[in-house]
This record gives sequence, structure tokens and C-alpha cells, in this order.
Amino acid sequence: MRTLITFLLLTLTQILLGQTVISGNVMDEKKQPIQGANVFLDGTYDGTSSDVNGNFKFLTSVKGIQVLKITFLSYEAVEHKLTIENYQEQTFVLRESVNSLDAVIINAGMLQAGDKARVSVLKPLDIVTTAGSAGDIVSALQTLPGTQMVGESGRLFVRGGESDETQTFVDGLRVAQPYGASANNVPTRGRFSPFLFSGISFSTGGFSAEYGEALSSVLLLNTIDEPVQEQTDISLMTVGLGLSTTKKWNKSSLSINTAYIDLAPYQIAIPQAVDWNRPFQSLSGEAVYRYQFEQGLLKVYTAFDASRFDLNQENLNSQVKDRVDLNNNNLYFNAVYKGFLVNNWQLIAGASYGLGQNKIDLNQDDINNEEDALHLKMKVFSKLTNRFKVSFGADYFLTQFDESYSPFQQSRLTISYNSEIGAVYSEVDYFFSKKLAFNLGIRASNNAMLEVSSVSPRASVAYKTGKFNQFSFAYGNFEQAPRQDYLKFSNQFGTEKTQHFILNFTFAKEGTTLRAEVYYKKYKDLVKYDTETPIFSSDYSNSGFGYAKGLDVFWREDSRIKNLEYWISYSFIDTQRDYRNYLQEATPSFVAKHTASVVTKYWISTLRSQLGVTYNFNSGRPYENPNTEGFLNEKTKSFSNINLGWAYLLSPQKILYFSMSNVLGTKNVFGYEYSNTANQQGMFPSRAIIPTASRFVFVGFFWTISADKKTNQLDNL
Amino acid sequence: MKKLILTLVVVFAVFSAQSQNQYEQGMNKAFALWKEGNPTEAVALFERIASAEKNNWLPNYYVAFVNITTAFQVMNDNEQLTPLLNKAQETLDMELIKDPNNAELLVLQALIYTAWISSDPMKNGMKLSGKVMELYSKAEKLAPNNPRVVFGKAEFEIGGARYFKQDTSAMCGQIDKAIALFSTFKPESVFHPNWGLDRALEAQKKCAKK
Repeated sequence: MRTLITFLLLTLTQILLGQTVISGNVMDEKKQPIQGANVFLDGTYDGTSSDVNGNFKFLTSVKGIQVLKITFLSYEAVEHKLTIENYQEQTFVLRESVNSLDAVIINAGMLQAGDKARVSVLKPLDIVTTAGSAGDIVSALQTLPGTQMVGESGRLFVRGGESDETQTFVDGLRVAQPYGASANNVPTRGRFSPFLFSGISFSTGGFSAEYGEALSSVLLLNTIDEPVQEQTDISLMTVGLGLSTTKKWNKSSLSINTAYIDLAPYQIAIPQAVDWNRPFQSLSGEAVYRYQFEQGLLKVYTAFDASRFDLNQENLNSQVKDRVDLNNNNLYFNAVYKGFLVNNWQLIAGASYGLGQNKIDLNQDDINNEEDALHLKMKVFSKLTNRFKVSFGADYFLTQFDESYSPFQQSRLTISYNSEIGAVYSEVDYFFSKKLAFNLGIRASNNAMLEVSSVSPRASVAYKTGKFNQFSFAYGNFEQAPRQDYLKFSNQFGTEKTQHFILNFTFAKEGTTLRAEVYYKKYKDLVKYDTETPIFSSDYSNSGFGYAKGLDVFWREDSRIKNLEYWISYSFIDTQRDYRNYLQEATPSFVAKHTASVVTKYWISTLRSQLGVTYNFNSGRPYENPNTEGFLNEKTKSFSNINLGWAYLLSPQKILYFSMSNVLGTKNVFGYEYSNTANQQGMFPSRAIIPTASRFVFVGFFWTISADKKTNQLDNL
Repeated sequence: MKKLILTLVVVFAVFSAQSQNQYEQGMNKAFALWKEGNPTEAVALFERIASAEKNNWLPNYYVAFVNITTAFQVMNDNEQLTPLLNKAQETLDMELIKDPNNAELLVLQALIYTAWISSDPMKNGMKLSGKVMELYSKAEKLAPNNPRVVFGKAEFEIGGARYFKQDTSAMCGQIDKAIALFSTFKPESVFHPNWGLDRALEAQKKCAKK
């Protein structure tokens, strides 16, 4: 018995006193010693910090298999499994964290705004504090390089592409009808109020394999995951009323945003160049519901908007004006679940449904159409290590289109089609180091209606050349089914295709961002037809082609002059295409060779006011003049305007906002329309396409009610 | 047999006392290092204590707190500030997952956001000030008599009110209340959070000037 006790005591003492020396060295990837790294055995008190030479040494009394942990600010932690008894002095190399702020980013083609972006060109506030944007997300994006200002349309035209070459996604799901209804040459607005979105990524090319059915560009809008607080916002404007409110519960929250817009009172006050029978009127509502599960988040977004207007448009081909009476109903619904599966794998699954209904009375003809668009999406992804990410996904798009056309005193014609597109994709992201990273992707897609399949590779690489600057390059093949206007008459098409090459240089230092990009985009298999407008009897083909190349420059500076923020965008583009019913390769009428914007915001502290001034310029746009030789070779005079916005904080939660577009009253011309027939002198009479109003004045009062008594709508103006 | 059990008990007691001692020694040493102006070493030691005391939130609390305090001293140097606040956030997250209703942890979260706001008000002000208020309101519900909660909230509100030249007397009243609470506040142990009185007194002086 006694021997046993003695033995036990001895062993215990040994355990208590028998200490082992753990020593070694810590250095970085360049073999420089790291001072101050925290070196310790996980789960014990035993450890120390490395000295000036990176050396460490400490005693431990624990035995057996342990984990030696080394941590140091901005470096990846090392966890080294060892057996204390067999430990030999070692050197540990710490790698700089690729998550750190100054790691390289793959950003060719990408313009980001909002919270999560590391190099963001727009801050969350800017999306809408930009003078002249009047709260329209698309208008704010038009001050960024790579876009064209097409005033008579209001849509996004990217790098020589048509507006429908940009696909819009909310939380990763397609929005089939992103714009409000409009008549010829009366600009439209995007459907989405900035109120519900926390981040915007706008790609002008070379985007990820996750997104398809877009030839030029994708616009990715993300709804807020978790609202900050309960609040109610009330807006009283010269053009209508708005009310939005957010409620929060333990695990869920709901935000609702409604607006009623009516241009009738405004029209009476300041007559416009449009001959309205009933000025534009719309009622819209949006809601986001979020539910936080243990391992995931469900977001349900829905938007409804009903609008109508009735106007008379001059027609050069007849003595009387054309009457356009339009009623548009739009419903968009989207549900997305994002959550953790097993072992670091995450899942995104969602569905979106868009319903667009138009009832158009064109003089005495009636057109009714309806588009039902469904998108199902599933994606799984994992960060296998800090440096290696993979993802797989699938998309299914279903579009049903029906139209009935009843010409005056004639029998009704009906058209319909059903388009089904399925796609799968996969992507890998790999960081070689903090300086070098690449992304490879592939997307395979099948269009059942057109009976065509294709495979599109995408690749990008980024290399950091200095502390604040980097280069990145992107390449990709993109495709898109032809637009509704053609599909409703024929299905004898292939998909339209583009190929992008983009080289990007980014310099980003605190308060200063410079981004310069050169690109080359090749178009092929564009749809051509041989009639005035696409009709049943047109002869269609995929024989169109074209190219676009250019330079986009963006400069932003926030810190040099106190309270002043500004950015300057410049785009140069050289593009020609032979598509639609073009007689030859030519620059389309929506393209201006030079486009520039200067956006400034100045905070006047003593007046508690933010003053915003935006200057837009573009060189002349081509138009076709049948009175002269050649095709699309006349040019309009250049376009310019100055917009002003002034937000005054009456109190922390009450804002008075005033804005005026085209302050100088510059007479701008977007293009010219010509009559189909020559007059007696053999000339085709023409008419200039001009802005609907030379100036637009807007006054609003915005009131926020919230518990913190601080938040206001300044960022939504 | 009795002897054996007794011996084992004694040995075990010594063992656990030693571990208890190690905790106290470690914490004391870390506080000393911090006071001596060596926050990096202090953080390293707190981090090691945290690794051994997985069920005690205090060591990680101080890893976060020391980093936040250091961050406030390098406000204009974004390159230093960002890793400090990220580290503070990472560490705080580990504890908030275990106990999302710890008012002291919520105060630290509010401080991290306040630091981001001060470093770039234009960029972070709108986004985070609502969150800060929400955190203080939640903390207030959980611990209405915690002086750091009362003071933190009043101090945050007062900045905005001064800017709009609004009446600050209500907030100054809250600061007075916080000071009274500081004098009656009994931390659970010597290592539990017990800071803030000096800052509250300074804020009181500012209030008196007006």
C-alpha cells in the first residue's frame, strides 16, 4: 500500500514539476521576424510573446498531444498539433490574412456601392443624394463610367449595349421587368426605392458565372438583412406622398414602403412639353419580411406597382397626334433562403416571380399583353480554407408571354410564346497570397424554346502592384436570348453572344479612389430583320455583329477639403454594330463618344445643409437623316446639364429638400425623328426629340420617427 | 485507503488552487502590463488566459476592451485602427454567441460601433448610430442600474444633441445618475468591469460649463 502511495505521489509531483521547454521562432512569409506574436498552448496558461527577433521560449507542465497556437494582428492564426515530449525547436511562418483590408480584390468590371464593398465607388448615402437622381437608383448609376446618358429612355445602357443587355437581380434572383412603363421618348424610372436596399453591385462587364442571360451588364441589388431599428418615414412631396415603416420582433422584421405619385398638380403649376390627357399617376408598395433561423435567414420581398398615363404624341406621318393611353400593373415576388448546411457549406435557394401587365390604347387600337416570368435558383458554396472558395449552382427561367392586338374595327390577333432556360454553373476563387488571386467559372445553359445549348467560360485574375494599387483582368463569354419584340414573332433564333476583355487598374487610398478600365467587347449572332419594325412577316436572322471598345475613368476624393465629397467619371467609347434593320455597321443612336459627370456634395455645417451639384456632359449622338447621304452619320449637338439639390435639416429627424434639374435651362436635343414620306420639296420633315421638361423642380419634406431620435432620410434623398 | 483518498484530495486541491491562483496572477499581471503602457502584451496575456478559461467571459472581454481603447488612441490612422477593431469584434463575437444578454458585452459592442463612427462619420454615421442606440436600449432593459450602460447612452446622445443645439439637460441628468450609480455599483469580482467613473466625471464638468 505504502509503495503505491509513494509511487502515486511521485508521479503527481512529476506531473506538477516536470516541465518542458517549448521554444522556436516566428516569422512572416518574407522571412522577417515577427515581434509580439502570441504563442501559447491552447487550453492552458502556458505561453509567451515572441521577442524582437521572433524568438519565443516558455515552460509547460502539460504533456501529451497539445495544440500550439500563434496569433498576431492581421495574420492568419497558426494551430500546430504537437506531442510535448517529442517537441523540437521549430520555425513558424505566419501568412498575412487575405481577409485583411489591403488584400487584392478581383474587381474588373465591378462598381460597388454600400456596406460590404471594400473598394466602393459610391457610399450608401450617394445612391440617392446625387443631385438630379431624384431618388432613382438608375439615375445615380448613370453618373458612373461605362454608362450612357440616354435621357429620353431613363434606362441603363452599358458600354455600347442596349438597355435590355443589362439584367437586374434582387438578392440574386432575376427581375424580369425592372422598369416602369413608359411611352416612346418619355423617360422611365427603375421600380425599386433605395429605402430597402443595403448594397448595390453594378457590373459593366466580365461578371461571375453565377449570372446569365445578360450580354453586357448585371445590376445586383441586395435587400437589408437586418434593419437597424423600428422606424417610420413620412414623405410629402410636390409629386406625391410616401410612407414607410419597419417593425422588428425577436427573430423577424417587416419593412413596408408605399408611395403615391401623381404628376397632375405639378403639371398644372409648371406646364411641360408633353401633351397629357392624364399625367402620370402611380401607386406602388414594397415589403420585405425577414426571419432569422438558428442557421439561416429567410427574406421575402414583394413589390407591386400600378401606374397609368394618357398622352398625345405628335406623329410626323399624320396630321393628328397619336393618343397613347397606358395602364401598367406589375407584381414582383421573391423569396430567398440563405443558411448553413454541414461542414462550412452554405446554401442559397430562392424563387422569384414577375408579372407585367400592360393595357395600351394606341389611338383606336387596343393592345393587351402579359408577361409571367419565373426564376428558380439554387447555389451551394463553401470557403474550404481561408484562401479557397468553391460554388455550384443552377438556374431555371420560365417566361410566358401573351399579347392580343385589336386594330380598330378589325379582328383580334393573338401572339404567345413560352420560353424555358435551364443553366448550371460552378466557380472557384483562389488566393495565392495577399497579392495574387484568381477566379474561374463556367456556365452551361440550355434554351428549350430555341433548342440551343452553350457553354460560357469566365475567368479573372487580380494582382496587387503596390500598397494602394492593383491590376485585374477579366475575360468571359456571355449570351442572352433575343428580346421579347422578336420572340413573339419567331423562334427561329440562336442566342445573341458577347465576349468581354477587361483590364482594370485601381488605386484606393483612404479618401481617394482612382479606377481606370479599358475594355474590348465583341458581339456576334445579333438579331437582324428586314422591315421598318419587327413584325410577323419580317425575315429574321442571327447574322448581326459588332464591337465596343473604350476607356472608363473614375476619380473620387473625399478627404482633401473638409466636408466636400466629389467624383468625376469619364467614358470614351468606340462602337459599331450591324443589327436590327441596319443597312451597314454603324454607331447606334444611343451612343455618345465622350461622356462625363461631375458630382459634388458639400456639407455646410453652420447651415446644417447638404448642397449637391451634378454636372453631366456627353458629346453628340448619331442620328439617321434621310435627307442626306450615308447611314446614321449625322450627329446632334453635345448635351449638358447642371442639377442642384439642397437638403436642410430642420431638426435631426426632419428634412426639407429642394432640387432643380437643368438649372441653366440648356436646350438639349436627344435626337431627331423623320417622317416616312418626303414632302413636295422632296425633303423628309423632322422633329427634335427633347426632354419632357426643360427644368424640373422638386420640393419635399421628410420626417422620420424612430427611437434613437437621430436617424433621418438624408441618405434616401 | 483513507490515506490514499486524503492524499488525492490534497493533491487535487493544490492543483485547483494553483489553477485559481494562475488565473488571478495572470489577470493581475495583464492589468499591470496594460497600466504600464504595454497593451499588446496585456492583450496577449488576456488571450492566453481566455484559452485556458473557456467558460469565463472576462479574459476575452478585456482582449476586446483593451483593443477598443487602443483604437480610440489611433483614430486617424486607419491602417492601425482597422485590425484593432476587427480583433476586438472577433473576440467579442466569441462571447456574445455564448451570452447575447450580457449588458457589459453589449456596451463593448456599442463602443466598437462608436469607434467606427468617429473614424469616418460620413461613411458610418448613418449606418451605425441607430445600431448603437439599439444596443444601449437593449442593455438598459437588461441592466437598468449598470452605470456604464447609463453613461454610455447619455454620452452618445449628447454628441448629436449639441450639434443640433438642442437641450442637453436630460442627458446631463442621466450622467449625474450614472455617477451616483458608479458609487453604489459592486462588481462581482475584482476582475469584473468597473471602469468609466473618470470619464463620466469629465462629461459632468462639460455639462456644468453650459
